[in-house]
Amino acid sequence: MASTVLTTAPARAPRWLAFLLIALAAALIVATPFLPNYYIRVANSLLIYILLGIGLNIVVGYAGLLDLGFVAFYAVGAYTYALLASNQLGIHLPLLAILPIAAVIGAATGILLGLPVLRLRGDYLAIVTLGFGEIIRIVINNMDWLTNGPKGIPALDRADMLGISVARPSEIFWLLLVTCILAGLAVWRLQKSILGKAWAAIREDQDAAAGVGVNTTNAKLAAFAISATIGSIAGVIFAASQRFVSPESFSLQESILIVLLIVIGGIGNILGIIAGAAILILLPEVLREFAEWRILFLGLLMVVLIIIRPGGIVPRSLGPDVLFKSLFRR
Amino acid sequence: MNLVFENLRKQYGSNVAIDDVSAVFEPGLIHGIIGPNGAGKSTLINMTAGSYTVTSGRILLGDRQISGLKKYQIAGSGIARTYQNIRLFDQMTVLDNLEVCYYADDAGLAWKEVLWPPYAKSREAERHAQCRKALAQFDLLPWISEDAGSLPYGRQRMLEIARALVRDPSVLLLDEPAAGLNHAETAELTARLRALRAPHRIMIIVEHDMDLVMALCDRILVMHHGKLLFQGTPAEVQGNTEVQQAYLGTSNDIDEIKSAAQDRRAKLGLRARQRSG
Amino acid sequence: MWGTIVQQTFNALTIGAIYALIALGYTMVYGVLRMINFAHGEMFMLGAYAAFVLLALMVPDIGAAGALALTAAFFGAILLVGFAGVGIERLAYKPLRHSTRLAPMLSSLGVSLFLVTGVQIAAGPQPRMFPHLFPNQRYEVLGGSITSVQIGILIAAFILMLGLHFFVNRSRLGIIVRAVSESRPTAQLLGINVNGAISLIFFLGPLLGASGGILYSSYYGIMTPTMGAVVGLKAFTAAILGGIGSIPGAMLGAFILAFVEVVGTALLPILTNGAIGTEYRDVFAFAILILVLLFRPAGLLGEAVSEESMVYKREF
Repeated sequence: MASTVLTTAPARAPRWLAFLLIALAAALIVATPFLPNYYIRVANSLLIYILLGIGLNIVVGYAGLLDLGFVAFYAVGAYTYALLASNQLGIHLPLLAILPIAAVIGAATGILLGLPVLRLRGDYLAIVTLGFGEIIRIVINNMDWLTNGPKGIPALDRADMLGISVARPSEIFWLLLVTCILAGLAVWRLQKSILGKAWAAIREDQDAAAGVGVNTTNAKLAAFAISATIGSIAGVIFAASQRFVSPESFSLQESILIVLLIVIGGIGNILGIIAGAAILILLPEVLREFAEWRILFLGLLMVVLIIIRPGGIVPRSLGPDVLFKSLFRR
Repeated sequence: MNLVFENLRKQYGSNVAIDDVSAVFEPGLIHGIIGPNGAGKSTLINMTAGSYTVTSGRILLGDRQISGLKKYQIAGSGIARTYQNIRLFDQMTVLDNLEVCYYADDAGLAWKEVLWPPYAKSREAERHAQCRKALAQFDLLPWISEDAGSLPYGRQRMLEIARALVRDPSVLLLDEPAAGLNHAETAELTARLRALRAPHRIMIIVEHDMDLVMALCDRILVMHHGKLLFQGTPAEVQGNTEVQQAYLGTSNDIDEIKSAAQDRRAKLGLRARQRSG
Repeated sequence: MWGTIVQQTFNALTIGAIYALIALGYTMVYGVLRMINFAHGEMFMLGAYAAFVLLALMVPDIGAAGALALTAAFFGAILLVGFAGVGIERLAYKPLRHSTRLAPMLSSLGVSLFLVTGVQIAAGPQPRMFPHLFPNQRYEVLGGSITSVQIGILIAAFILMLGLHFFVNRSRLGIIVRAVSESRPTAQLLGINVNGAISLIFFLGPLLGASGGILYSSYYGIMTPTMGAVVGLKAFTAAILGGIGSIPGAMLGAFILAFVEVVGTALLPILTNGAIGTEYRDVFAFAILILVLLFRPAGLLGEAVSEESMVYKREF
């Protein structure tokens, strides 16, 4: 029997490809801080979206739940920083204190939003999360006494960590890079843990997952909470780097953009997120002269990619671990 | 520990699917549930596993009431099942399909698996060892790192049973395990199922394949129009005139059975075409 | 007080009629393909822009267009959008029909993005004046006032919905559409041209949505490239509220939603002493949407979901 089976080879990448990609990443990381500020800002924006992608991917890629309101958590983090480090409320906490606070608030929001909606599936879940995202934006827009409404909160504090300034683009770059790597590692280990297996089972067949003893509600809540925490932290860093927040940054289109970068890059894979973010963030920068055409192009790209490559650019099995293993093979 | 149905009833609107069924299933025995299509066999399995709610009556495992619990709680109390239409986690490996069954035990310490790699490694090794044992029992080790959805149909059936078995359940519910299998595979299945009989385990098989049921089961329940028509040993069932009349006897019913079989073949043909297409 | 109630009822009926026209498109597509068409709101927007362009081609001064030109523009625009809907389905959704459940939804998000930006580039992002389709006159009825525009919208919407009702329930094509939405495989086995039926739905849905867009723009006298998103979402809410897949449900849901919105917006500032103002109007639609999905996912007129049909396999 066994001989009749086509055994698929374990996932591996050609050695030259692995070498090329890793060398490219390393070169970019080392070179970026020495580039003009404009390029560093683009790199930072890229890293923020990678971080957001890592967060949302837990829910969308691992657990298979389409969340179209992810930007809500991003907004929660950004406004947490804005309110705790500006003259808006007269509170000036350091970044290191705000990060854990934002993480907790993010997780709590994730659980609060998750509790009622998680028994819905598929398209209904998508539309409800979309509704929640919009509600949060409308509330921020209208709670003038707290959030200063559509005008936003300006002049946020310059962030620093234990006396080291984290305000200039190159400094934010290092903070973002470290955060991305930590988040990526944590999420990668989560995926390999029993919880990650449960998420995959929920993605594949929710009822059968419950049938083998997975408490699907808890597992989904965990996914929502962890994803919200990462989104919230991304929001804090975003606010600290812009030193200004307004509801405009948290529109539905942002949510869609983040879903899009996961789908384009390859659902469920960190390398896919990086590829997706690179396309969606760098391409518009390259096409800057055709400013208004780029979103038109993105819409088209989305349709075309979903049709010709529904699994995304990077295959699910090709993770960073595979890349490194291919490099040191034999 | 017996599994007990107490005056079970299932109603969809005014449509009664299960009508006042009481039965006792004992450990160490293989119980068969037979009956024509629509008699309520699968409904019984689905109610036991918590997939369907119980309209009235109770299901007990030992002293514990099972009906009304959530699906994952029922699974956690030692009841495992397979499905009439195979439901594997298609894009997960064969090994992962089994490993995820340990979620209930290990979820509380998942954070430790993330933060402390040595712990993760040792837990994973323990889980994998158990899974390998179950896979070996069904000769599935050669497929261990394949995606479950890419396995041949017959192997998928076996994998589903292996998955149900991995945590050594006290109740094993098999919903038409032979559906879609060819003769050789059915024979293989019969042998494997016979080997699963254990003193602590209640096995319940819903099946259309009479040869398999008669060869394997110690007790048989005959369902008819949602009611429990008869229960007894295979010999008693075969000798009972009531059963013969109601289920096998009249030419009408034989036609019904034949058409049911044809139906199933048609469905499988459709499925095969969808798969290849 | 009485005058206000009558007045608000007229307003709610008008808005409800427009929501209903759009909601029908969502519900028909969902009924057949089990897909949420995120680009449907854009059909609404396209309708207004197409009518505007047709008018501009026909008469030099849009504000002074005659009844004939307005009628021609209305029907020309909804037909154009109907054909656009068929084309979009062929290009962007049909290749995904055997893909995962969520793939066409994501594709429709892309289409939506494409259309909004496309119109923004072609016509500019700023709002544009839209002419009144009907001579603007005010009548006093039952103590409230109703404009001829509102009456025109109600009549037009009523005729379109009646037309759809007869088409779906009486005509041969309508029966085919219903058969396909009941069970696609069975319809296929019976030799029904399923692709044709789906094309027909993607013709009728956008057609009705476009008519809603023209009426809406004519009501408010304005159109913007982004107007499809919010109104589309509200119409979707109406479809869910009434029971997605059900045509009478979509109409019922639309009117209920419009009434809740109008009443809520009028009452809330009074109830909360001004703390929550009319700016929360859009929150109502979302709040209703979420509550309905949580407590009665089948909607008001939808069929209850049986335990067996809750069985989905992977969604993407």
